[in-house]
Amino acid sequence: MRRLLVLAAAASLVAVACGGGTASPSPAETEGPGPSASPGETASTGWDPTAISGPAILSGWRSSPEEGEALTQALLGFPAQYPNIQVDYRPIAGDYRTVMITKISSGEVPDLFYVNAEYAQEWIDQGFLAPLDDYIAKSGFDTGQFFDGYASIFRGKDGKTYGFPKDGNTIAMAYNSTIVTSPPKTMDELVSAATALVGQSGLAAPICLNPGLDRGLAFLYAQGGSLVSDDGATEQISTDASRAAVQWYLDLFKNGIGKTAADLGSGWCGEALGKGQVAIAFEGGWVDPYMASTFPDIKYGWAEMPTGSSGSPVTISYTVSYSIGADSVNKDQAFVLLTYLAGKDGMEKWTAGGVALPSRRDVPIPAGKEVLAKGSDYARPGSGFMPGYVDVQKAFQDAFTAQIQGKTYDAGPVVDATRAAIDKALSQ
Amino acid sequence: MAAPTARARSSIRLERRSEAIAAYALIAVPMILFLVLNIGSIFYALFISLWKWNVRSGPVDFKGLENYGTLLGDPIFLRAIQNSVYYTLVWVPLTMVIGLSLAVIVNQKIRGRTFFRAAFYFPAIASSAAITILWIFIVSPDGLFNTVRGAMGLNPLFELFGFGPNKNWIGDQDTALNSVIILNAWTTSGTFMLFYLASLQSIGNQVYEAAAIDGATAWQTFRHVTLPLLRPGHYFVATVAVIGALQLFDQAAIAGGIAGDPNNALMTMVLYLYNAAFSRFDFGYAAAVGIALFVVIFGATLVQRRLFGQAPSW
Amino acid sequence: MIGRAATSNRKGGAVAAELPVGDRGAIWRRRIAYAILIGYALLMFVPFAWSVITSFKTLPDSVRLTIIPQPFTLGGWEYAFTNLTPPLPRLFFNSAIIAVVVTITNLVFGSMAGYAFARLRFRGREVLFLIVLATLMIPDQLRLIPVYLLLNFLGLTKGVLQYAGVMLILAVSGTSIFLLRQYFLSIPREIEEAARMDGAGFFRTFWQVMLPLAGPALAAVAILQFQGTWNGYFWPLIILQDQDQYTLPVGLSQFRLAGGMGTNWPPLMATVVMATIPILILYLFFQRYFVEGIAASGVKG
Repeated sequence: MRRLLVLAAAASLVAVACGGGTASPSPAETEGPGPSASPGETASTGWDPTAISGPAILSGWRSSPEEGEALTQALLGFPAQYPNIQVDYRPIAGDYRTVMITKISSGEVPDLFYVNAEYAQEWIDQGFLAPLDDYIAKSGFDTGQFFDGYASIFRGKDGKTYGFPKDGNTIAMAYNSTIVTSPPKTMDELVSAATALVGQSGLAAPICLNPGLDRGLAFLYAQGGSLVSDDGATEQISTDASRAAVQWYLDLFKNGIGKTAADLGSGWCGEALGKGQVAIAFEGGWVDPYMASTFPDIKYGWAEMPTGSSGSPVTISYTVSYSIGADSVNKDQAFVLLTYLAGKDGMEKWTAGGVALPSRRDVPIPAGKEVLAKGSDYARPGSGFMPGYVDVQKAFQDAFTAQIQGKTYDAGPVVDATRAAIDKALSQ
Repeated sequence: MAAPTARARSSIRLERRSEAIAAYALIAVPMILFLVLNIGSIFYALFISLWKWNVRSGPVDFKGLENYGTLLGDPIFLRAIQNSVYYTLVWVPLTMVIGLSLAVIVNQKIRGRTFFRAAFYFPAIASSAAITILWIFIVSPDGLFNTVRGAMGLNPLFELFGFGPNKNWIGDQDTALNSVIILNAWTTSGTFMLFYLASLQSIGNQVYEAAAIDGATAWQTFRHVTLPLLRPGHYFVATVAVIGALQLFDQAAIAGGIAGDPNNALMTMVLYLYNAAFSRFDFGYAAAVGIALFVVIFGATLVQRRLFGQAPSW
Repeated sequence: MIGRAATSNRKGGAVAAELPVGDRGAIWRRRIAYAILIGYALLMFVPFAWSVITSFKTLPDSVRLTIIPQPFTLGGWEYAFTNLTPPLPRLFFNSAIIAVVVTITNLVFGSMAGYAFARLRFRGREVLFLIVLATLMIPDQLRLIPVYLLLNFLGLTKGVLQYAGVMLILAVSGTSIFLLRQYFLSIPREIEEAARMDGAGFFRTFWQVMLPLAGPALAAVAILQFQGTWNGYFWPLIILQDQDQYTLPVGLSQFRLAGGMGTNWPPLMATVVMATIPILILYLFFQRYFVEGIAASGVKG
């Protein structure tokens, strides 16, 4: 009897390996029975997404009403392909991370939702997300088209995949083209161009800057600094190069070149640019639909991140996944929706909305995003590259804000606080 | 056959019993709710606080008192206590003084006292969420406060204290908590006024007549007659105020988010509890924070008892 | 102190030393005092007036010191109406259903328990009443985690049952019981005894004799409870994780955090105005009960 069972299991393994159609499925990927299929029938029944029916709740934040509109547009193509699945798109207003955690703790999670790279590892470790490997194997979904820099962020320590990158973004320089006629190419040029703009009438400050790693990391890298070593084992914020980079970034505030959005009375730097309070902001693709709808009269352009002391072009990239909740009761529908939205057609429709760049090789770069796309050739991950990054970010931002608001502009305490947070994160 | 007297006695006993049954029936629902949701909660919280307790999957590891150790070693928690205590020490006396002053004023025989009373209480009617958002707007860099002081030519005066013309009052680590103190003094002083008004009106006319005969001035009367007689009133207002102050949450959470930004300036004890539960995903740790909060509030109540003497006999 | 009823607000009953009338100095002092008083009273209304004005402005105009919006626009209101999640009528409905139910349960359970504690003799009365008072001293947040887990276990943090979760937590407050007990204590015993002589049971006495007499106290409790629940933030924020069930304060605070909304003042002020209007109307009509209810809860001291 037992031998028969073993035989059946082995057979099913082989069947999955053949039927799945992927080039080289590792044993890990086919391990364990799928949520809705017993080992014996996995291969024979196959995966017919059009046969799956039922509802699926989709949630994410909206950086602007335009983002919600873009996603709604992208979803229009879904019912034609999968008429039996009813998608209920429920964007979440407010503090997304906190709202989602309350949903997770109550057991009533959306079926498919955004997970920011920033806290993806945390949520994977806490068991909030469902692994997708069985579904990938069953459906034969080709994950090879995703840029690995994005996709790898959503793989757990166990080697399993917990989400597909829904898109990507890089940080570049958005400048008011009426005020800045030739965008600076290096950090030195940026400083001299901005210094010339100090006190110009109508401008509250030349540049809107973020007082944290959210955007500051791009400057830290550009000026030769770093947070952790390449192998991720040791902190590097306390090296001389990093210290100098933090000091350089602080000096932008000290010299009146840069101000935070909060001190400008704006919600974020895109708004400050739109209101004409600043001439330059460092943001990503989400600026475009926002400016088009809220500040259509402001003329602005994109330029690559200026090169710093490191000499080569540097920027950071962001990504967000679509993941399935561990407690989702509609996992099958959610996965079908996931393959649509993270698939070629869905992503092409979504990125046409102008919020983000594709995270797949086979989706063309939308018009107007050339500069941002160029940055993705050399971008380093802007979050999700180390455990406990949320705490590191908080430590940096708190200490950095204290230096700006206390008008002391000393990199020392910022470095010390960040170092302590990194050491703590790495030791866990 | 029982004697008539015995029958009367037993009917009294029956009556007593039916009275007790009626009483238990009348109080049953609230008492069950209190016993489960209030008293029972304390013991359950104590139990939870001994565990590492995942928000989704429940208890993970038994940790004993480790959560309490972590708590006391966390500088952000100490900052939260510091903020809550500072808030309490400044806000409570400030609001009590304003409330008492307003109460004394509207207790006079002045024209329009009903209007004044209604006006002074007015800011208390709005929800904390609405009023905090309104306040964030008013003290924002381009907000009403900054534009009005600019228009009045007061900026040089503010400059003396190092406050620039477009200061973001609630977004600056040095002024954020004070901004919330002023906000809440503004909204709550009307409520305290009403508390004090009730106390003032319970003071008989005779004492004032006696004071008047002794030739006391208005201030002397207030200082030596009214104020001492208001002692139970102070006790009540102070108790309510301190408990409320140590539980500061709404305004801090709305203005500073779950992290109490900027730089933990708005991190209060209750916000820390909320943060521990829904940002660190650890209900065990959060329950320990709740117990610590209880200890602090209980301690504060004891201190007050010392300050104001015995509690009134309620 | 205990026996004083919620309504015994003796207007002008005790008046502190009156200002001497007649001499010039006093008249001027009086005028200055009035000026300060009126100025201070106006200060109470300024922020609200500003929120109403701002709600009719454009975003660039909202940071300017102009009393009349230039240009006057309904854009902020439109934006708020179309972009609030859930839509505004739903927010109103959610706030209303929770506030109404909680007010009713507090009146029902508060008056029943208040009567029992005031009038009926039963074993354990003192201890049980001490528990009622203790609930006023135990910080609400201490019970955040245990109560949340309990509601989770009961399934009251899911779907429409979240309403029930919030209602259960707020169903009856120690303050309601306390206030109504104080009021019942102030009603002369003879009235009740007459009813009892006529053979009325405890429930009938309570229902037909005592409750009608407690009208003013019930009104005060109802107003305070309604206002408190309508404005409540902490429990709805935690229990109502599904935004379709959000109350106005929660929806409003989350609206501000939504993308691009942080400083979009006209629609934010429009929602602030809308969230405040129902209580404002209540205040205008039932101002007496607001004042007396709060004064009564303060008479404790």
